[in-house]
Amino acid sequence: MLNLTIDGKKVQAEAGWTLLDTARQHHIEIPTLCYHEAVEPFGACRLCVVELRQGDNSRLVASCVYPAEEGLEVHTMSEKVKNVRRWILEMLLSECPASEAVREMAAEYGVDSTRFEVRNPEEECILCGLCVRACAQVVGANAISTVGRGAQKEIGSPYLIPGEACVACGTCVTVCPTGAMRARFDRVRGVPEVVMAKAGK
Amino acid sequence: MADNSKIGVFLCECGRRIAPLVDLKDLAAKLEADPLVDYVAVEPFSCLAPGLDQITKAVEEKGLDRVVIAGCEARVMLKKFQNELAATGLEEGQIDIVNLRGHVAQVSDLSPEEKAAKGFKLIKAVAAGLDALAPSVHEQVEFKGPVMILGGGIATYSAAQELSRREIESIIAVSTDEWEDEIRMLHEHYPGERHYYDRMEAIMRDVDASPFVRRITVGELSSVSGRTGEYLVTFSDPMGGPPRVYEVGAIIAALDGQMLNQGTNFGHDGRTVICHTEAEELLWTKGVPEGQIVFWINDYEAGHPEYAYLASRAAWSMARYMRERSPLTKVTVLYNHQMPVPLSAGERAASRKLGIDWVAYDGALRPTVQAGYVTYCDPEDHTEQEMPWDRLILSPRRSVGQEATKVAHVLGLEHVEGHFLEPHKQRVRPEMVGRAEAFLAGSARYPCDLHEALRQGRRAASKTAEMVEKAQTGELFAPRMVCTVDQSKCIGCGLCKEICDCGGIEPVEGHGGNIPRHVDPMVCTGGGTCAAACPYHALTLQNNTTSQREARVSTLSKELAADEILSFGCAWGGLAAADNAGVKGLKYDPRMYMLRVGCIGQLDPSVMARAFLEGANSLLLIGCPPEDCHHSYGLDHTWSRVNLIKKLLHLCGFDRRRIALAHADLNNPEEYIRTVNSFVNQMADLGPIERNSENLEKLAGLYATVNNARVRWVLGATLRRPWEEIYPGNQRNALAFDRDMMGVVSEEFIKSRVANLLRDTQKPYQLHELANALQAEEKPLMESVREMVGEGLIGRMHKDGKAHYMLRA
Repeated sequence: MLNLTIDGKKVQAEAGWTLLDTARQHHIEIPTLCYHEAVEPFGACRLCVVELRQGDNSRLVASCVYPAEEGLEVHTMSEKVKNVRRWILEMLLSECPASEAVREMAAEYGVDSTRFEVRNPEEECILCGLCVRACAQVVGANAISTVGRGAQKEIGSPYLIPGEACVACGTCVTVCPTGAMRARFDRVRGVPEVVMAKAGK
Repeated sequence: MADNSKIGVFLCECGRRIAPLVDLKDLAAKLEADPLVDYVAVEPFSCLAPGLDQITKAVEEKGLDRVVIAGCEARVMLKKFQNELAATGLEEGQIDIVNLRGHVAQVSDLSPEEKAAKGFKLIKAVAAGLDALAPSVHEQVEFKGPVMILGGGIATYSAAQELSRREIESIIAVSTDEWEDEIRMLHEHYPGERHYYDRMEAIMRDVDASPFVRRITVGELSSVSGRTGEYLVTFSDPMGGPPRVYEVGAIIAALDGQMLNQGTNFGHDGRTVICHTEAEELLWTKGVPEGQIVFWINDYEAGHPEYAYLASRAAWSMARYMRERSPLTKVTVLYNHQMPVPLSAGERAASRKLGIDWVAYDGALRPTVQAGYVTYCDPEDHTEQEMPWDRLILSPRRSVGQEATKVAHVLGLEHVEGHFLEPHKQRVRPEMVGRAEAFLAGSARYPCDLHEALRQGRRAASKTAEMVEKAQTGELFAPRMVCTVDQSKCIGCGLCKEICDCGGIEPVEGHGGNIPRHVDPMVCTGGGTCAAACPYHALTLQNNTTSQREARVSTLSKELAADEILSFGCAWGGLAAADNAGVKGLKYDPRMYMLRVGCIGQLDPSVMARAFLEGANSLLLIGCPPEDCHHSYGLDHTWSRVNLIKKLLHLCGFDRRRIALAHADLNNPEEYIRTVNSFVNQMADLGPIERNSENLEKLAGLYATVNNARVRWVLGATLRRPWEEIYPGNQRNALAFDRDMMGVVSEEFIKSRVANLLRDTQKPYQLHELANALQAEEKPLMESVREMVGEGLIGRMHKDGKAHYMLRA
């Protein structure tokens, strides 16, 4: 049993728990985007950062991958943490301004606009790769991956054409934190042969 | 089973997403008070390390053998729970998930108490299903015997080489003693591959010298029986002796397609206008001919543009061979301008150096073969040109070939006329496909060159080897949710085999007469529509049975209020759409109660009937979009089953609309919500079925009728398969067939009711009393009762000169 404090609250954890596990177990909320319980943590979005303090020293770590340790002093809502999250959310707003989930989360932190260039106002995807990991670890189909590099990177099946590996289970759509996979899904699975009437849309 | 199961329920708080929306305390108290549930706990996050630790501890301390997690999507989370809780001995089927977050908490504006009540009903239903589970034994699969590679295709050698490399014994069944003969005849199946023969020879030598490979020379394949791990393969003896039988563990089929010559419409005459195989034969026997040789890549004109690539590669290979050996031969390749020339930069250079001309023609005008010339239209200037030739070589026609078709038939591979043997791929999760198409290699599978055929052979071998190696270390187990046959109930009617799409159902030899079936668990994908079709309930989907689903619907139906809707959603369509509606937090009518099912085709009509019998007033089945069933035909079969229930509802005097089949696309949850709301409103207008004694009697009759073997048989014969234009039994008229079906259903319905009445009351009835009790007309009733007496279902005795009917003692 490990003893640590989170936001001044004395909590206990078992070896092997992450800081996020421990915080959630004790009803302390930490925001996440790229994290999903069904797959291994990845630490891509950095929204789950928390501050570790030791005397005058302090540092920021991603709580979804950082293991609980004896004697840690963790702050999930310190000014430093909030500042970093605001930065991340502002950058996300420029990256994927169309995502409702990101906008809502940003609003919670008082971020409603971005100083960065908005390249595509329709973009929803934050390229966290959660869908890719879910397809590999939950489904085992490995039908999607990131395609291209750097600024051209996007999520899709190889060569961005519907692949045979996709079983159209929709796990990627269900786990997607921003709703971006929905628009990409038909390009991965191929549109069903008989397209349902799109009444009411 | 029912009395010794210990069920634990774990409720997730899931941060802000469940706890504030559902009164979990109230829900836990309700569950604790329920005799079905042995243990209840509320976890902040069941799915995280702390939660999993708690569940593991509870399972071990309380001796739980069934676990319900009330959290989120089973489609996403179930696998994690199965993996994490495997150490406690809980296996697939013993853990179930209720999507409390996505089907209850997030999707309506009910109060937390009301949501707790809704959650309770769903959890209780799922717990009842688990309670009815009889876990199967974990079946270990062993390979009794070597791997047999049959069919005689050239992929035999690459497969044998791969197996021998991994030190796995194999038998190769071929038709000649000497592998040199096979090289000599190889061009009949793979023309234009001469450059590959050295490598091919090296593979063959390697296989010939391997101590792990046994070569046998056999005649035709006559039968294959058994299942993965233990097959009996029978061949006829090429010398005319008795049939030869081999016991093998696995089978790889190496099948080469056949090359046919073009018809006279392309000017084929077998002497000057020839096809690739004939050209190769010419090169073998007479050497390279002199003069002007023209390869016409005519696959576009022959109706198969997709084969132009293969034909032009073969033409290039032959052209190069000719030019390198005979400077007096001029070679031109004439091709449709729509076709990209499949040469690499280096090959183009070589082609130029050798002086091979590649001439494109305008595909809009079909070239014509004339004496000594081919006329074609130049795509650049649109003038018609003439190309002189001394020999014109056409692309071959490709087909599976009779021999490969015969072997495929014995192996039980479905072969559609005019198609290759490439197996139809079910779009299900990889772990649900046992070994699927892994065991078929060669150009009979789909047209390919030698390189690809050999690659397929290696791939089939390495897939097989993976299984064999796993089995050798005792780690290969049959999947748990597959069909099994109760041999004592099976009459060998073959209906299941006919409708099974994964090919897992096989007859058991040696039983004579009616041959019972069994299932190869390594092939079965667990779709379950076959089990739902069995007239005698002999076929069951183990760990996920019809009786479990009946337990779930009967529990839920008893709990539902009059205006609440019972529904089933398949994991690929309805359920996934509902999950995604939950993720998006879309609101819909909270009177909707959805139960999870792997494929909508798993629903036996008895499950549907049970719902109405136990108190449900309506049933909505939500599957995949039309023609998009992941288990191939589960959706079509359900359509027929729903129609049966509609007929029976009509006979009972209830509204036929009370049961409906709907389609949902998982990526379109808004559409799903329209489906739900429309059905719920329609049912609210209909009002409930009055549960008086007459109606209850009819519903009991309805339930008995769908379990009647004759009805189930006729239903089984109507199950639609999309490619069928003719109904079984040469019943070409769908309407007439449906009327016959209606006749059978009405007969069996009244008979079931008579039997129910006589059994329940245990007293003799006269005909008019029966008619009175069942509110039926006397005349047709008399017919039915007479038949029942004739069939020995009920007894007749005369008292005071009047016929009385009663249950037979």
